[in-house]
Amino acid sequence: MSTGLSIWVMCLVVFNMGITFFLYLWGPHAKIPQSPDGTTGHIWAGGAIREGLHRLPRWWLISSGTFYVLAFGYLVLYPGFGNHKGTLGWTAHGQLAAEESANDAKLFPLLDRFRLYTPEQLSKDPAALQLGKVWFEDNCAACHQYSGKGNMALGAPNLTDRDWLYGGTGKDITTSIHDGRNGVMPAWASLGEDTVKNLAQYVLGLSGQPHDAQMAAAAEPIFKSTCAACHGPDGKGGQAVGAPNLTDQIWLHGGTLVDITKTIHDGRQGHMPNWDKRLTDDQIHVLAAYVYHLSHHADAAATD
Amino acid sequence: MAYKHFEAIEKHAPLLGVCIAIMVSLGGLAEILPLFIQAHQVKPPANVKPYDPLRLAGRDVYVQNGCYLCHSQMIRSLRFETQRYGHFSVAEESVYDRPFQWGSKRTGPDLARVGGKYSDKWQLMHLINPRSVVPQSNMPNYPWLAKNAIDGADIQARMRVLRKLGDPYTDADIAAAPEAVKGKTEMDALIAYLQGLGIANEPRQLADKPSVDGSVQ
Repeated sequence: MSTGLSIWVMCLVVFNMGITFFLYLWGPHAKIPQSPDGTTGHIWAGGAIREGLHRLPRWWLISSGTFYVLAFGYLVLYPGFGNHKGTLGWTAHGQLAAEESANDAKLFPLLDRFRLYTPEQLSKDPAALQLGKVWFEDNCAACHQYSGKGNMALGAPNLTDRDWLYGGTGKDITTSIHDGRNGVMPAWASLGEDTVKNLAQYVLGLSGQPHDAQMAAAAEPIFKSTCAACHGPDGKGGQAVGAPNLTDQIWLHGGTLVDITKTIHDGRQGHMPNWDKRLTDDQIHVLAAYVYHLSHHADAAATD
Repeated sequence: MAYKHFEAIEKHAPLLGVCIAIMVSLGGLAEILPLFIQAHQVKPPANVKPYDPLRLAGRDVYVQNGCYLCHSQMIRSLRFETQRYGHFSVAEESVYDRPFQWGSKRTGPDLARVGGKYSDKWQLMHLINPRSVVPQSNMPNYPWLAKNAIDGADIQARMRVLRKLGDPYTDADIAAAPEAVKGKTEMDALIAYLQGLGIANEPRQLADKPSVDGSVQ
């Protein structure tokens, strides 16, 4: 703040404190004319309301005096009187830094310990899971839900089953969180409506669902030549490109005929953001342990 | 000063009103006026740029729909906020926000650094129906945004006004605006705006870094 503005603020403070302090000193001794009826003679509402005359009570005088002393003390100790920084040197950012370092002093020894373990080992550590749960709910739950069961409408995978698009080791999960993932299923409408319908029947068959065997058989060569590039010749998927396994009963975007047809016809895009800019590596490490825990410990999945 | 002066104040409501107004305004004159006077000294850091046309349109959609009534864009310097949202907000980040969107009504989460936290598809589903991604949400649906087109000429006019106010848009920037928002809806613009919030600013950095592969060190 410039010197001019500092003086401006000081003047306002002096004016405010001065005028009220003057009234405080003067009030108890003010000579107030008194009418014979014991009032000040001020009347309202045609005389229905008249102003009585009472001295300021002692408790009020003492408490107000105390507040004046405290106010002067505050202006000496803390910032407020123009550019005066306060003798305590308090700042809002300084207080934040102190609170953060007090928190870090408790958190860092824990994180130091967590770093000695893999996410798999850490997934059994109650302290790590407690921290992981908080961070999961703050950052991951918007897509994967509080329970970790995912969101099929969004294409956010269920983390509580043991089916992994990009691998389920602690290292794989850490990479998924750190770097993010982009899943791309191209649109195959160009193959023609009939081929798309046949392929959908074939995919239904892969997962053992009721399907039209004739249509599926017609699509088999196309699956082997086109779809197999990502999903593998037997449809078991590929974690290198994040292609889902089509032979289990677990579906990222829905497993009904309508869903599958739409997936083939229009394609799908999945985007898991990278968290390396938003979370520290320690946080990602703990989150990987929490995610691992969700699918590996029977009672792990919390309720919504 | 005699008692009769106070009697005059007490008995004349307009005079009493003026005196009250003077005393009440002291706080504002001390706390707000210096900031107004010094506002021109706030310079944008190198990483804070004026809004590109689509995000500028999105910022206006944000204001039009009253998003600020529930969402602040100011992370306070309090530990529980910096831990959840990232580094506290500073004035320099909002140089190109007219009006700024700091706010103090926090019904929903703070959005100052929400950019990139969720995918574009998440933002789309969330704006059409927040319950489709966050079952507990009480945010209203905004489905009509996807139907309203952005008018390129209108955005150009807004950019010209902002240039008069000091934003460094070039003629080329303004000429390119209609192409940048061509075929875009208010939904696209709002998502672009949200996905850009805070991304130019580094969140809190911690000194220690374990290996990223999750292996034992």
